[in-house]
Amino acid sequence: MGHLARLIEAAGIATVAIYVRAFAHVAQAIRVPRAVVTRHPVGRTVGAPHDVERQREVLLSALSLLETATSPTVVELPMAYRIVSWR
Amino acid sequence: MAESLEDFKNSFNYGSRSDLAFKFLKRLSTEEVADFLQELICRLGDTIDDGEADRLVQLAWEYQVRAYTGPDGERSPTYEDAPFVALRRPLANSRLGLVTSSGHFVEGDDPKPFGVESMTQEEAMSRILEFLRSAPQLTAIPADTPGDRLRVRHGGYDIRGAQKDPNVVFPLERLRELQATGLIGELAERAYSFVGATAQTRLLKETGQEWVERFMQDGLEAVLLVAA
Repeated sequence: MGHLARLIEAAGIATVAIYVRAFAHVAQAIRVPRAVVTRHPVGRTVGAPHDVERQREVLLSALSLLETATSPTVVELPMAYRIVSWR
Repeated sequence: MAESLEDFKNSFNYGSRSDLAFKFLKRLSTEEVADFLQELICRLGDTIDDGEADRLVQLAWEYQVRAYTGPDGERSPTYEDAPFVALRRPLANSRLGLVTSSGHFVEGDDPKPFGVESMTQEEAMSRILEFLRSAPQLTAIPADTPGDRLRVRHGGYDIRGAQKDPNVVFPLERLRELQATGLIGELAERAYSFVGATAQTRLLKETGQEWVERFMQDGLEAVLLVAA
């Protein structure tokens, strides 16, 4: 995903990538232009199933970074993963 | 002969106990796995009485992070510089695209990896090495696709969360809501997904450039990527 972010950005399109904490070091090493890191398990990058509020919060952070970053930036969000009751 | 802890922990990684949620155990030492299991059992003892499960998930998360960031963790190429362009105009006036490595597609429009019709998740897992060696396929997903028509298959990560709610790695529905609020000017007509377990060098050198041309033809002004 990091390589793709770099290619898109190099073509003149601004990008922001969302990563889980387990792969934050990959985002750092590969120097993605902008990344938001969540403290969520692999496979639940944006939030737990049906945690609409968290999913929205993560997306808003990513989109905000897209607008405000003036140089390559990786931001880690502080919120711990939470399970929501949905069944 | 009794199975060793070494064999036990490794068996979750495409072995006899294959479970992608716990394949990370292979990257931990037997001592770390023993500590993990001991603490898991201890916390489970508390969960028996209060039903609180976040502490179990939190522990699994901590060891997952340790596994991927530790000495046997995930490696990646290192670059000195990052390409960087500013957004040309505010997001409220921009066309945003979604691209994820989650392996999503629309029901009835299966990308048919290796020409296989209706490949199961189990087969994708068993053929993970072939995926890792092959060029990735980019799948277009119309932005108005209802969540219940989305399908997911990926032999590299635990898709159970994504099967319950695609938004966990393919947040199309959440983006549609944000578009309705006016925060995003326009959500692009097509979102994209691919199977992230793929030949990274080939993605960089060949396939990626073709994909970028498609994104430019779509008139994307900004792209949100989600790594699964």
